[in-house]
Amino acid sequence: MDFETLSGDLHKLKTRALAEIDQTTDPGALDQLEIQYLGKKGEITAVLRGIGALPAEDRPRFGALANDVGVAVKAALAERGVALRAAAQAERLGSEKVDVTLPGRSVPRGTLHAIPETIEAIAEVFGQFGFVVYEGPEVEDDLTNFQMLNIAPDHPARDLWDTLYVDIPGHLLRTHTSPGQIRVMRSTKPPIRALLPGRCFRYEAVDASHGFEFFQVEGLMVDEGTSMADLKGLLDEFAHALFGPRRTRFRPGYYPFTEPSVAFDVECIVCGGVGCPACSKSGWMTILGAGMVHPVVLQYGGIDPEKYQGFAFGMGVERISNLRHSVPDLRYYLENDLRFLEQFR
Amino acid sequence: MRVPLSWLRDYVDIQQTPEQLAERLTLLGMEVQGVDQWGSDWRNVVVGELLTVEKHPFADRLHITTVNVGSGETLHIVCGANNIAPGQRVPVALPGAVLPGDRRIERTEKMGIASEGMLCSGDELKITTDAEGILILPPATRLGVQLSDLYGDVVLDVDVKPNRGDALCLIGLAREVAAATGAVARWPEIVVAETGGPVAQRLKVEVREPELCTRFVGRWITGASIGPSPDTIQMRLQAAGMRPVSNVVDASNYVMLELGKPTHTFDGAAVHDGTIVVRLAQAGERLETLDHVERDLSPDTLIIADTRGPIGIAGVMGGAESEITGATTEIAIESAIFDPVSIRRTGHRYALRSEASLRFEKGQEFRLARLGADRVAQLTLAWAGGSVAAGRVDTATTEPTEARLAFRPRRISKLLGAEISTADQRALLRRVGVETEAAETGARIQVAVEPKPLVVDAGDEETFLAVVPTWRRDLAVEADVAEEVARVRGYETTPAHLPDTVMPAYRPSPLRARNMVRETLAGAGLSEVVTHALVSPMEQARLLWPADDSEPRLPASLAADLEDEIAVTNPLSAQHSVLRRNMAGSLLDVLSLNERQGRSDVAIFEVGKVYGRVQGQPREWVRLGFLLSGSAEPASWNRAARQFDLDDAKGLVELLCRRLGLPQPAYAPDGRGFPFHPGRALLARQEAGRETVVGRVAELHPDVLAEWDVRSQRVVAAEIAIAGLDVATPSSVHVEPIPRFPEAERDLAVIVDRECPAADVEAAIIRHGGGLLRTIRLFDLYRGAPLAASEKSLAYRLVFGAKDRTLTEGEVDEAVADVRRGLEGDLRARLRS
Repeated sequence: MDFETLSGDLHKLKTRALAEIDQTTDPGALDQLEIQYLGKKGEITAVLRGIGALPAEDRPRFGALANDVGVAVKAALAERGVALRAAAQAERLGSEKVDVTLPGRSVPRGTLHAIPETIEAIAEVFGQFGFVVYEGPEVEDDLTNFQMLNIAPDHPARDLWDTLYVDIPGHLLRTHTSPGQIRVMRSTKPPIRALLPGRCFRYEAVDASHGFEFFQVEGLMVDEGTSMADLKGLLDEFAHALFGPRRTRFRPGYYPFTEPSVAFDVECIVCGGVGCPACSKSGWMTILGAGMVHPVVLQYGGIDPEKYQGFAFGMGVERISNLRHSVPDLRYYLENDLRFLEQFR
Repeated sequence: MRVPLSWLRDYVDIQQTPEQLAERLTLLGMEVQGVDQWGSDWRNVVVGELLTVEKHPFADRLHITTVNVGSGETLHIVCGANNIAPGQRVPVALPGAVLPGDRRIERTEKMGIASEGMLCSGDELKITTDAEGILILPPATRLGVQLSDLYGDVVLDVDVKPNRGDALCLIGLAREVAAATGAVARWPEIVVAETGGPVAQRLKVEVREPELCTRFVGRWITGASIGPSPDTIQMRLQAAGMRPVSNVVDASNYVMLELGKPTHTFDGAAVHDGTIVVRLAQAGERLETLDHVERDLSPDTLIIADTRGPIGIAGVMGGAESEITGATTEIAIESAIFDPVSIRRTGHRYALRSEASLRFEKGQEFRLARLGADRVAQLTLAWAGGSVAAGRVDTATTEPTEARLAFRPRRISKLLGAEISTADQRALLRRVGVETEAAETGARIQVAVEPKPLVVDAGDEETFLAVVPTWRRDLAVEADVAEEVARVRGYETTPAHLPDTVMPAYRPSPLRARNMVRETLAGAGLSEVVTHALVSPMEQARLLWPADDSEPRLPASLAADLEDEIAVTNPLSAQHSVLRRNMAGSLLDVLSLNERQGRSDVAIFEVGKVYGRVQGQPREWVRLGFLLSGSAEPASWNRAARQFDLDDAKGLVELLCRRLGLPQPAYAPDGRGFPFHPGRALLARQEAGRETVVGRVAELHPDVLAEWDVRSQRVVAAEIAIAGLDVATPSSVHVEPIPRFPEAERDLAVIVDRECPAADVEAAIIRHGGGLLRTIRLFDLYRGAPLAASEKSLAYRLVFGAKDRTLTEGEVDEAVADVRRGLEGDLRARLRS
């Protein structure tokens, strides 16, 4: 064997290998080629074994040459491999194109009802000022619903609360959340900051603005120096939180269980105070009633009116919701037409 | 109360515009709910002068008139009235005019003669009640003037609160105007020209119930002639919302609106023996009231009677027989003070509430009995003539003086949260007629009155006495004085201040768990509903939803005592007359309603109360109810439709338990049938004694769906009691260390009888799994070949692990072998693996 012959074989092998690599389209075939040429029994390896037949002075030269060929074939295999994988990936991605403008796979999402959501919104605001939530019974006793709130039997003000009575002696369906004031005062001691949401009932024919079942949120704060100024400050914060930076109005109202009593208005949400049918041209909308807790009520709550004073307020949840969401008809709330409910997504 | 401003000006000067006045009154606590233009519905009605009045050539009843309306043009108008004559000034509705009731006047032809408008009667304009004749205006009335400019008025609609009966009249509101504006209120001059003989010769009064009728003042008028009252008076009454009747009745009504004193006038001839007796009705007595209803009088009714029997229900309504008629000449005037509670009860008993009873109910100033009698006599004399008998019959001539109410100015400042000097407080009170005088030290302060009175000693604190005007029956305690100070000063002057005192102790919100449930279910695709608590008893009876087991913390002995539902004794309708015992009926109502609106996919829930009684006492429980109908996943381009089934409902219960950190409930079949599908209903609950979730989950029976007219074939519903829904419970998650050693999994296919509940298989696996078994999960359920028809295969993945080491194959194999043996022994199961 001479150097010329061997190197010629090597060269031919290299040319063939590179050509075959170049023509390969299947990454698996590349592995076969690697074995065929560079494996232990590969063709290039076989040529290399012939090095022993060369004269000693030719061996280094041949060694270098053979190494170059091996490196070149390996590089070609790698390069071809990368190219083939890239092409395969590109082809897969190309074939996977979708119409991205189609709608997604819907994840079901229900809705939350406006009444509990409004109660939650109210509780959130007052919660920041330390008011904690209590609940009273809906089947209330007559004494707590009326007399302990300074509404004697046959009091003319009873007309304000047309009552539904039940077949349990001395009981009725609470006409307001105010009896909760008594229950809170009896179950805890000042300082009191309590919020009482819940369902109420009245003997009232149903129309767009009345219902025999409705929801209220009552608030109560009692401490040594709790004053009407505190009430005003707090109600202003509440009105601004729910209705934005609107003017508010604090004016006299009437409830037997507060003295002085307060009616609290915000600037009309529809017209901004100019006057429109929604606010009876007054520019104001009443959002709640309030006042300083009457000494009779404090006493029934077991609290000394000479030591403590406080305020209470009560609001209609539907009223607040109507104003926030421009709901036109009170009947929507308990009717539960999905076309109404689903607007609160 | 409707207050014509022109009338109010009789008692107080008003410089403000109606809108300004309305705002001032509102800010003083007399809420003005409307500012109406009286006469705004007379459009294009002007004052005209009749030039000629001639007979219509073709109709006897009609006249042809020529009218000058000041425009220079002469109008020809056909008119059917008989009271017209040339030279009179009359209201003329021009073509295009609109009258009350939206009646439009156009150019017409009447029996062949053109008519260019209409002459108006008082009734057509709703100014007087005279429908026969044309309204004849005073001769000096200016021609061509719009009638609304002449007689139009502004009427304030004032919402007088129940405690201020004294302000339910013009003089009372004039006092409030005076307080608001600084003007001075003035009373009408009440003088009675008595030209008749002594009243005692005509009228005797006996009050047998002095508690219920604390004062009765009577007067007598002879020779009156009944007719309409003056047009201006009729206009005032109409503007104030009261229909004119006759001069005598109008006088009584006028005084009620003016002074707030209801009085009654009887036809004196119908008061037998000139004797009035105030007494309780006797059993069997009857009376036809003014509204021509024959009423049986119950014995606790206070009545006005004569020597023969009842002639009126005291303070509520007079009798028809003694009514003033056109033939009346003798008039007995009743001006009495009745017990407010008695009047209120009587009004309720006969479902009769009148303007009079409304005022009696709120209590009356004592001296008004005298003033009212005098004023009615004075006005009757002026409008109906005759002569007034000398003197009054009066059963209680001593009129009480003003009460003194002690108050501490410093206390008032503290309540209002504003420093108001003593001098300022006294000045403010004076504006509402409350004079003040210094009190001696140690004055008694009335902090509260009935039903929970409290009087304290003022000690050496600065104290004043408020001299309460006799008409202010509402000022009884110190806080009432505070309100007077506050409202005259103006609530708007109250400083706004945020509470900065000690905060209350922490209290977990009872809404928290409810909100977690609500958010979770909404997130799972359900819509929240809020339904009526009051439902139909029929519906409750029809549904037969099981009531037992419904309260997790209700001891078993009490559960058996759950009695009938609570019923409303005065329901508005049978549809809403009992408190619901369950929520499923309400949810079915919602489903039915939405199906009628064309919705077939309905997934709803409610967190609300159900009600019952336990040992005669009311009880309320918070419940979760939900209902699933239609598609769980509606058909979409990338997914096939799937209908809701029982597994969806169970999945929701399991989801909620995970969310709330509660153990998963076990399911036990409920095969009762109606209202459930007999094979698809279950009771979900945890191990006995530690239930935190109890309730039924079921597909509803087709008969239930038919009852509710539900179209859907399958409806799944659940009603669940969850501990913590009504009482907040702190969350309690205890973290286990993350396992340090790998776990081993084994799959086990258990072949059991087709009827064997999966829960039994699961329980057996857990029972025999030993301490190394961590979790099991059912991943396949198979029926069919090669299994026998009576068999099914349940495939479980069992996970084993230990805290302190990696388990050997041998240990796991041994644990699985235990499970196998257990299943074979307990359930006669075959195992495939």
